[in-house]
Amino acid sequence: MTDNLHARAETLIAQERVEGISKAEQNWLAAHLRECHSCAQVAQQTNDALRSFRGMAVPLPRGLAERTQFRVQLRAQELREREPKRRLLWIMCAMSWGLGIATAPYVWQAIEWIGERTGAPRLVLEFGFGLWWAIPALFAAAIVVLENVRQANERDSSGR
Amino acid sequence: MADDTMALAQGLKRRDPELLDQLIEQYQYRLFRYLLYLTSSRERAEDFFQETWIRVLERGHQYDGKHKFEAWLFRIARNLVIDWQRQKKVQSLDALIDPEEGAPMEFAAQNQPSPLHLVLTAEQKTGVHASLDRIPTVYREVLVLRFQEELGLEEIAGVLSAPLSTVKSRLYRGLEALRGAMQGGVA
Repeated sequence: MTDNLHARAETLIAQERVEGISKAEQNWLAAHLRECHSCAQVAQQTNDALRSFRGMAVPLPRGLAERTQFRVQLRAQELREREPKRRLLWIMCAMSWGLGIATAPYVWQAIEWIGERTGAPRLVLEFGFGLWWAIPALFAAAIVVLENVRQANERDSSGR
Repeated sequence: MADDTMALAQGLKRRDPELLDQLIEQYQYRLFRYLLYLTSSRERAEDFFQETWIRVLERGHQYDGKHKFEAWLFRIARNLVIDWQRQKKVQSLDALIDPEEGAPMEFAAQNQPSPLHLVLTAEQKTGVHASLDRIPTVYREVLVLRFQEELGLEEIAGVLSAPLSTVKSRLYRGLEALRGAMQGGVA
């Protein structure tokens, strides 16, 4: 029997457990293992190792689930309390955009008037008009970011 | 299974407290075992266990119900451990992500019995448990996911956010290491 056959058998022994092998390969391997004592031993050792590994028990810390359930419920309550604030923020944002749309012609007139008085280039006026629209979104985004940073800091100080 | 996972996804989206309690109860052993093998520390595993469920609560809406819940759960847990490692800079992150290019991740100090060893041997002083210590964490991790959790290769790749080829290579090396370690442990 050549070394190649033993190497193939060892590869198939591992492959069978990791990703599976074809019927033909299974038949070849079974025939080889019947004839080759050392490869049969490798197969047996692999089976034994996996059986022992699967059968290993890890002791669970006492009350782990209960403590976790308690922490999760507290956090859920916190999140529920924050939800109305977040909703209010988006309502205010939506109202602000609504008002922005309704007053856009007047705002543009005012910006044009300022432009005439100061002689500012049209590009600057348009940028100013864009900024007028972006302010509510920027404001809301800043609040959300600050809130997330605060939550992360809270977790860091209370966690590990 | 699809109906169950879809119902689970809906419940997580609603942050259903009863469902969360039930999931914590149901997956406590499997998640703790995975975290213990990953961190080699009982205390850290406990911390990460709680943090994982807080994340599940906060990000439950991200679970799509199309995949196994446990694969998503393990990915959250693993990401928390990686974030922690990144913050603490315990050792090179590259070693964790691609062990073939460097030393595989290990939290335990060299030349001392690791906490995993202590935890396991405290319960059952057998050569089998002690020998697990000799297997690098990256290999222990895939061995747990494949042979204890019985996840598919694609699912493991999802948990690890790694290519299928990496998962297979780690499994082959892990299996070889396991066989060697068990032989050594028993001898």
